[in-house]
Amino acid sequence: MIDLLQIVIEGSLVGLVYGLVAISFVVIYRAAKIINLAQGEVLVVGAFLLWTFTEGAAGLGWPLPIPVSLLLTAAGCMVFGAAVERSVFRPLIGQPAFTIFMAGVALLILLRGLVQLVWGAETRSIPVILPEGALQIGPFLVNTRLLIGAAFTLALTAALHLFFTRSRLGLRLAAVAEDHTTALSLGVSVRQAIATAWVLGTVVATAASVVLLSGSILSLEVAVIGFKALPVALLGGMESIRGAPLAGVIIGVLEALASAYLDPLTNGAASGLLPYVAMVAVLLIRPYGLFGWRRIERL
Amino acid sequence: MRPTGIWFESYAAEARVLETLRARLWLLALLAALVLLPAVAGPWLLGEFTNLFITLVAVYGLYVTVGMAGQINIAQSAFVGVGAFTAAKLSGMGVPIWATIPAGALAAGCISIVFALPAWRVKGFYLALTTLAAQVMFPIVILALPMSWLGGLVGMPVMPPTLFGLNLGTPTGLYFLGLFVAALATWTAFNLPRSRIGRAFRAVHDNDSAASVMGIQVTRIKIEAFFAGALYAGVAGAVLAYFLQFVTVSSFTLFTSVWYLGMLIVGGLHSPVGPILGVVFVTLLQEGLHKFANAMLQADGGLGGGTVFALSSVVLALCILIALIFEPRGLAHLWHTGMKAFRLWPFPRN
Repeated sequence: MIDLLQIVIEGSLVGLVYGLVAISFVVIYRAAKIINLAQGEVLVVGAFLLWTFTEGAAGLGWPLPIPVSLLLTAAGCMVFGAAVERSVFRPLIGQPAFTIFMAGVALLILLRGLVQLVWGAETRSIPVILPEGALQIGPFLVNTRLLIGAAFTLALTAALHLFFTRSRLGLRLAAVAEDHTTALSLGVSVRQAIATAWVLGTVVATAASVVLLSGSILSLEVAVIGFKALPVALLGGMESIRGAPLAGVIIGVLEALASAYLDPLTNGAASGLLPYVAMVAVLLIRPYGLFGWRRIERL
Repeated sequence: MRPTGIWFESYAAEARVLETLRARLWLLALLAALVLLPAVAGPWLLGEFTNLFITLVAVYGLYVTVGMAGQINIAQSAFVGVGAFTAAKLSGMGVPIWATIPAGALAAGCISIVFALPAWRVKGFYLALTTLAAQVMFPIVILALPMSWLGGLVGMPVMPPTLFGLNLGTPTGLYFLGLFVAALATWTAFNLPRSRIGRAFRAVHDNDSAASVMGIQVTRIKIEAFFAGALYAGVAGAVLAYFLQFVTVSSFTLFTSVWYLGMLIVGGLHSPVGPILGVVFVTLLQEGLHKFANAMLQADGGLGGGTVFALSSVVLALCILIALIFEPRGLAHLWHTGMKAFRLWPFPRN
């Protein structure tokens, strides 16, 4: 019983990290109506920026204090998000969903290639930013890094939810997500909305990379987290900020249970397959997810 | 618009793919050149051409699913993989090549139906996400199955193909095998838009609500589009298995799928000429990059194989983005306008 609860606790903490990445999908979808498949690569770019301003700067003889490097990373990924929006997605405003989706696919291999050209393919270590260790709560051990990440995810969810439902800019983004043409005719700037969405999305993805990689190894393979978070975003509902962490916990716990109880029977495949089986099941049973906007037609 | 002097006396003549005698003669010349190529080319060039033919078949599959029916498929490489593993397994059991290739095609088609089923509830890029699931699940499943089934991490050797006592395992034999399937794929892809099901694909692509009003069973047509596209992928995979002589999961990645899609988009989605132009263009580009990288490698030795791969990814991604932003109809549109200008010369094109 204690074992089971320990697995559930670990699964939900990891699930909240998935939820954080899923929020970065949702933020972009909610404002720009783009499912950006390259979100995992965006996260990797953020992580490499983080590496550049911590270990990379230290290697050049310019050791920076952690808060300064975090600020520089945040600034760097804002510039990066704005550059992606300006060069790839702004020229495509008003194009069919197929074109925009394919632009995301092209961005995926573009970013993967660029990262490899700029930083090289070797693995790197990210310094410890969030404290490592385990907290003893009763009979359970809780990883402090993931605990802080979980608290951050929940706080960010509340903040973004308020932003999207209460602030003027957030409501404008929601109007753009509903329909570009209608938003334009109401005087809402689609360009501004999409630029805001991209900057927010890259910042959230980079925050996720801090939680995920603090004190561990950074390689190009980290981008897989993007594909793991996609089922989470779909389950929570592509328009729902608050659905993402909840769906993250569901997927995380199921994955942890599968890896503990089913993997020994299936040669390690069950936990890997679970998010995608869940994704296909969600699309078949409840395509708008748990809290997404119900549309009669999804085009 | 056709130039003056070309007219038709029957419906059948007007419905032909190759309308004029001149076009048919050009096709014959091209076929003759391709058939005579092994007499003059070395094994390296034959290998390149075989690879090009196999890629062309896979991209024609995407043309049917993505270009004609408008359903995004980012798992084409996984479907190619299903065909390749089926052919490899069957060839190990001693099944002859005329049975393994259709078996590979059918296996890929059946798997694709499973992932096309959500078409019943969702459309657009939500459907693309199920194909993404197929692509990501493919290596996990192959690696988790027992080694004795599909080779697991190591992979599976493929028996050299023989047909009626002829050894097809030589570069020339594989070249003719590739040429045959590529010609078959081209012939079917050019004729599909003229058939009932091809028109149904096109109707679903243009507007599926309108298509269902006109009596087309939209869900069924979407599933059939995935099935048809995966049939091509299965054939490509089976021939690829014989060509590579060894299949492993690392040959069938998401990146290969994106490459196939990239070739289709650069070539042009809406014309059967598009896949040919796209595959030839991207292959030439890739070979050019390899040549360039080799020259750089000899110059200072600072360029590794990973860099070449990264560089070619960047170049292909830029090609896709340029095509999407500036010429969404792809090279095929440039080809058609160029042909029109050539036919009407010296008169202006419009």
